[in-house]
Amino acid sequence: MTINVNGAERSFQVDPLDRLIDVLRDQVGMKSVKEGCGTGDCGICAILVDGKLVNSCLMLAAQCDGRRVLTLEGLLGDPDMKRIQESFVVNNAAQCGFCTPAMLMASWDLARHSPKPTPDEIKVAISGILCRCTGYYQIIDSVHQACGEGAK
Amino acid sequence: MSSLELFSPTNLDDALNFMLREDKGVAVIASGTDLIPRIRKKQVSPSVLVDISSFQNDLRYIRESGGTLRVGALTTLTDVLESPLMRDKLSALHEAAEIFGAPQVRNVATVGGNICSAASSEDLIPVFMALGAQLKLVSAKGERTVPLEGFLKGKRATKMKPSEILAEVSFEVPKGRSWTGFEKLGRRNMLIISLVSMALSLSMKDDLQTIAGARIAMNRVSDRIPALAVKTQDFLVGKRVTTETIAQAQKILGSELALTSDFRASGSYRTEVAQVYLKRLLLRCSGRIRGSG
Repeated sequence: MTINVNGAERSFQVDPLDRLIDVLRDQVGMKSVKEGCGTGDCGICAILVDGKLVNSCLMLAAQCDGRRVLTLEGLLGDPDMKRIQESFVVNNAAQCGFCTPAMLMASWDLARHSPKPTPDEIKVAISGILCRCTGYYQIIDSVHQACGEGAK
Repeated sequence: MSSLELFSPTNLDDALNFMLREDKGVAVIASGTDLIPRIRKKQVSPSVLVDISSFQNDLRYIRESGGTLRVGALTTLTDVLESPLMRDKLSALHEAAEIFGAPQVRNVATVGGNICSAASSEDLIPVFMALGAQLKLVSAKGERTVPLEGFLKGKRATKMKPSEILAEVSFEVPKGRSWTGFEKLGRRNMLIISLVSMALSLSMKDDLQTIAGARIAMNRVSDRIPALAVKTQDFLVGKRVTTETIAQAQKILGSELALTSDFRASGSYRTEVAQVYLKRLLLRCSGRIRGSG
């Protein structure tokens, strides 16, 4: 099977129960994709598949044949992502950092679909991702300042 | 290597023919948001997974014609949320989709999967039940349409045969002076399994004051099957929505259905919440019908 990972076609041998997160971490080495709960409750493994934000722990890799996957590693040169990341740094939005890649992916996805999002839109966009350090307000402020109404 | 096999047919006929031949151990997988963790926790152990997720052209649609709304089984919750058809009289579906899971779950989780997984917490089941939905089940031998009421046998159990796939959910769009609404209680707003949820489909007579019909569906009923509050519904017909009517309806609801007690919440707490939801939904739906809500 073949998956387009961050623009590059990659071929894999997978077990039927291998999930997308397993292949991305173990076979491609995309370590920004983290496993938290493995049951879809924490959203830490969120990435984009065919342009849609999904939990990669709830998808079988074998069901992703021919699809396009985008992880944080694929957005390192992206100007929007850079702006959001810098805003996270300025606002101390990363404490332990475990949820940060997923928060960045969800925020970038929001910014793409909804220019100048309101704080409420930002809250909905990140609502599926748990931050165990309770840094939500710093995260919301970061996104708001980087691309929301608050953006300069 | 696991002993599980994944069969990914390229069309629905191949899937159905395969399922007719395989007599046991088959599980249908769409997005897998419910099934994958359950397999990994060994709560279910199918020997073959039949992947229907690629049949988007056949089973992913929301169409209205002749007063009937048809929702393909592979329609995602995001599709439901973004559909302009799920407003006004079908607000209950929009309201349920809005707080279903979280964005990245809604992007893949399907309407058919929510019904077929038949967990007692599923939120779309009460909504479709209040709407009087019918389910189209297809197999290699043909198709049949059954009411959603009676389709669920218990927790995680339905009357679907192993050779069948749920293809479509359909229902008559409420006519005339009507509105629908949905309420759900969880420990937080998003990404949470409901402690109790309720859907109401209400219609009023031409005077806009007298209830013509009501369907009230709830999950977390103690026999593990979402159910209609039939006695409460019957009581409401012909009544005006007054403080007294609501109080009496709440009382009937409280004695009509016993709700589950488990580690999440007690049955008596769930019942109290359900009574509050009944009041909220009656006021909201009747208000919207009068154009004042």
